[in-house]
Amino acid sequence: MTPDLRVRIAGVEFANPVMTASGCCGYGEELGAVFPLAKLGALVTKSITLHPRSGHRPPRTAETASGMLNAIGLANVGIDAFVRDKIPFLEKQKTRVIVNVAGSTLQEYVEVSSVLADFERVDMIELNISCPNVDKGGIEFGADPVMTERTVSEVKKVFPRPLIAKLGPMVTSIVAIAQAAEQGGADALAIMNSAYGTAIDVETWRPRLTNNRGGLTGPAIKPIALAMVDAVYQKCKLPIIGIGGVTTAEDAVEFFLVGATAVQVGTALFVQPDAPIRIVDGLKQYMQRKKLATIADMVGKVRKW
Amino acid sequence: MIHPTCDVTLLKKHRDLKHGYHSLTFGPYPRASECRPGSFIHLRVPGGAVYFRRAMSVAAVNAKAKELEIIFKVLGRGTSILAGSRRGDKFDILGPLGTVFTFPRKNETAILVAGGVGFPPLMFLSNRLTKSGHDPKRIEFFYGGRTAGEIVERARIKKPGLRFNPVTDDGTFGQKGLVTGPVERFIAAHRERNLRIYACGPDPMLKAVNELALRLGVPGQLSLEAPMPCGIGVCLGCVVPLTSGDYARVCCEGPVFNVGEVSL
Repeated sequence: MTPDLRVRIAGVEFANPVMTASGCCGYGEELGAVFPLAKLGALVTKSITLHPRSGHRPPRTAETASGMLNAIGLANVGIDAFVRDKIPFLEKQKTRVIVNVAGSTLQEYVEVSSVLADFERVDMIELNISCPNVDKGGIEFGADPVMTERTVSEVKKVFPRPLIAKLGPMVTSIVAIAQAAEQGGADALAIMNSAYGTAIDVETWRPRLTNNRGGLTGPAIKPIALAMVDAVYQKCKLPIIGIGGVTTAEDAVEFFLVGATAVQVGTALFVQPDAPIRIVDGLKQYMQRKKLATIADMVGKVRKW
Repeated sequence: MIHPTCDVTLLKKHRDLKHGYHSLTFGPYPRASECRPGSFIHLRVPGGAVYFRRAMSVAAVNAKAKELEIIFKVLGRGTSILAGSRRGDKFDILGPLGTVFTFPRKNETAILVAGGVGFPPLMFLSNRLTKSGHDPKRIEFFYGGRTAGEIVERARIKKPGLRFNPVTDDGTFGQKGLVTGPVERFIAAHRERNLRIYACGPDPMLKAVNELALRLGVPGQLSLEAPMPCGIGVCLGCVVPLTSGDYARVCCEGPVFNVGEVSL
């Protein structure tokens, strides 16, 4: 029996449940030189803002135990250059394309999303309402249920295809934020963005990032992300895409068991650029061994004590 | 196309060069012959104790045997683990990656400026130049280190005809002082020649070389180092500011940049 890796999220079918995470694969060009992007469930682009952003002064990253800190600062080409220079490449890719959208005002989210609405190639958008690394925008939208609901519902008015709300862990109750996103009309949730963190050089007494703090990612945050997905799955009907330290097929299985329908691979791409392919292959083997026919056979099936 | 082999490249040879320097030769690695002077590989440190790969300049290649060599100095946890590796250990190599040095024209004198652990790509360049028929008399190899023992692999750099100019901070080998002093004096004394400068070393040295090359009108290239998570251009973690105001990725637009291009 060959296991069926296809999953459906908000009516969209994905060839498999393994996606790249935003900010970890640019706009796909570089990764396309490593493996055929058609092997991905979906490519999720770097956050796109209205205007180009050059990002923070280096150093922007620091290695930590089992992970990394980053404060890239939403460096991106901006929506005009994205549409002009990046969409033509994405048009040729036989994979699902999810464009991550960020903004420092509600209007910016709406403007960027309305431009993307015209491009059928953009199968879905993912709203980054939880970036920890910018002064304005990002986390302030996703830390407050009222703003979350409003941002989602305003963007829904201009973007006709499914919308994913990407939530972060630095909130009082991720369940409340998830419910607000659902109320606003989100079609799916991506859980979770990076956690606040910092590291200090004890020789110079300087933070290792010029932004003074950044987002912690990688295997270090996987247990937090699993608990967040689990909490939201109990209270919210929306399909969940699990993110946080996914490096192996077994990591993906853990996310499925607590309720995720798909996973995104982020920091692992930096260590092993073909990690998604290895995860897909590993999932097939795991499902064969466990005699599982579909991903759905695992979703939310954790056997709690 | 980048072909992650991940799998397994064997460590063929480990030489302890003393003073914290080590040489590792890997092979057979299918893409070894694609390495050019300036190329780097992104090497996974075995054991999982450090998370990121480590970017290492290629020091030499044996195309026939499909072997490549790196030379590094123990500076932290990753390099100390690498220094403990043994012949037969298995490694995960990504690459070769990045931009490479542009060779000088036949009538140009190549001034190679190596600072400490920055010497391997310049040794590779120098050896490739002599092999490809560049007159060794048109290669000036300046090599700066803190003390005599840190000027390693001298015998492999000193080729007949090539001028080897060691410089040490403490004067225990070659001239005393910073390497940039003798470099500047050489340029000043040979203005009538067609000169091209190549440098790799610590940031203050690169900054000084960049400034003097601009001031004296000598074209050339600098090889930079930066903390580098992915090595393939996706993380945007290794950027450096350019004089144009943009940022450039050391892993893709670099590590070799033209003199005057980077804001050092």
